[in-house]
Amino acid sequence: MNNIWGSMEQYDPVVWNWIIAVYLFMAGLSAGSMLVAIGLKWYKKSRGLPTEGLPVIKAAAIVAPVSISLGMALLVLDLTKPFEFYHILLNYNLTSVMAWGVLALLVYIPLVFVFAALVFEKQVLKYAPWLAGILKVCRQLENSIHKLIFVLAIGVGAYTGFLLSALISYPILNTAILPALFLTSALSAGSAGNVLVATLFFSKEKSDCIDQVHRIEYPVAFNEALCLVLLFVGLNFSGPAAQGALGAITQGVWASVFWIGVVGLGLLVPVLSSIFAPKSWRHTKGFLITVSCSTILGVLALRHFVVYAGQSYIS
Amino acid sequence: MTKRYVLVHDENKCIGCQACNVACRSENNVPESVTRLQVRIEGPYGNFPHLHFKYNRVSCEQCENAPCVKVCPTGAAYVNDDGIVSINENKCVGCLYCVAACPYKVRFINPETRVPDKCDFCKESRLARGEQPACVTVCPTQALTFGDANDLTSEVRKVLDTKPSYQQKVNLGTEPRVYRIPSRRGGIKA
Ligand code: SF4
Ligand code: SF4
Repeated sequence: MNNIWGSMEQYDPVVWNWIIAVYLFMAGLSAGSMLVAIGLKWYKKSRGLPTEGLPVIKAAAIVAPVSISLGMALLVLDLTKPFEFYHILLNYNLTSVMAWGVLALLVYIPLVFVFAALVFEKQVLKYAPWLAGILKVCRQLENSIHKLIFVLAIGVGAYTGFLLSALISYPILNTAILPALFLTSALSAGSAGNVLVATLFFSKEKSDCIDQVHRIEYPVAFNEALCLVLLFVGLNFSGPAAQGALGAITQGVWASVFWIGVVGLGLLVPVLSSIFAPKSWRHTKGFLITVSCSTILGVLALRHFVVYAGQSYIS
Repeated sequence: MTKRYVLVHDENKCIGCQACNVACRSENNVPESVTRLQVRIEGPYGNFPHLHFKYNRVSCEQCENAPCVKVCPTGAAYVNDDGIVSINENKCVGCLYCVAACPYKVRFINPETRVPDKCDFCKESRLARGEQPACVTVCPTQALTFGDANDLTSEVRKVLDTKPSYQQKVNLGTEPRVYRIPSRRGGIKA
């Protein structure tokens, strides 16, 4: 359409794109993987079982630092002034969720690397013997470090949700459910990521505590589904603009992403396969890899759905 | 905050000629591809033969409770004593949080500075010299009134006190400082 008032390009309501969606996923993956690993550690300890060298924990020591670092790299590159990103480290506006996120990440990221260094202490010391002193101190503080990481991981997982829910004019985003949804889906991505990497690289026996990780999957999937239902039922009762936003799950490409990706790959495949798959499959590599990839894709789809469909409906 | 600058757009007087749009562009050196101010002609509304259009001014609303300022992680989006929502280019990292947060979708990235840009009532140039914003000065039908609403004798105060007006999206609690006088035929449509 020709209009006399000029280009409409800058008025596209979708401001944040797939890069942000992938970052939100990576941050969730990292946080979830830490929560699962540290939770598992505590669980084992409380039963007096050994916690050293567990494949899932080794996996987390790879998944968490790698994913948060990649996520941060993407985030910085996506800024319009990537070379001036340091301003975000110097100035903090404490009414901004993003500023809180930066503060949390500032502590979380180094600690995750400490976590990884402690898990792979032998290898680290082989290549960097000069780290011995620091690692020794860290080892002594290990318990406190784990507690701190656990709290910060909850913060990192949830803040990504708050980041979007602060956008007051988008009905799908501006809800209190979003942080909870992001945190639970971060847990499923994290446990799937840990299982995937553990199966691929670290597990020698069949069930190497992958069982315990599986045990949290049902409640997590249930919570995630519940959050999604609450989100959309809530929209249905929140006035015309919010009702319009229900279009996100009934029409267009994002509806397909939602039903196929988020619900299908992310929720149905993992839950159904663990109910119906024959016992003999359960601990085979192929099965574990397929199911965890499916979960991961589901969470990735969820972040894309939320970012794109969320911004497409404005009140 | 001693001043409370507000802008009133009279949708009865407006003819959608875009003189304001063009004046803003030249006053503020707005690059070709982007814009701080549009007057969109929306409609037609009503039933034939009583059709009418709505003239919708789209520019920064100078929210008193500005979401763009609240979300900015570095404080680059800020409000001064003059109450005008402004941008500190040096502090901005270009995260686009403010662009996403603005409910009126009026922030854009200036392709030259790589920093968000938007209407600031010409505060650096014309306002600083004690003049009215470019759009107000140039409007051929005097559809725009600008001034300090805290000043009881000001023109804007008179207009707001005597004519019915509305603001857009008040339900979001942003308290916009752009007021609109609804067209007699159009009625109020926020
Ligand atoms: S209209 Fe948008 S850019 Fe202007 S003050 Fe309000 S939120 Fe900020
Ligand atoms: S783009 Fe700049 S002004 Fe806007 S929120 Fe980010 S840092 Fe602040």
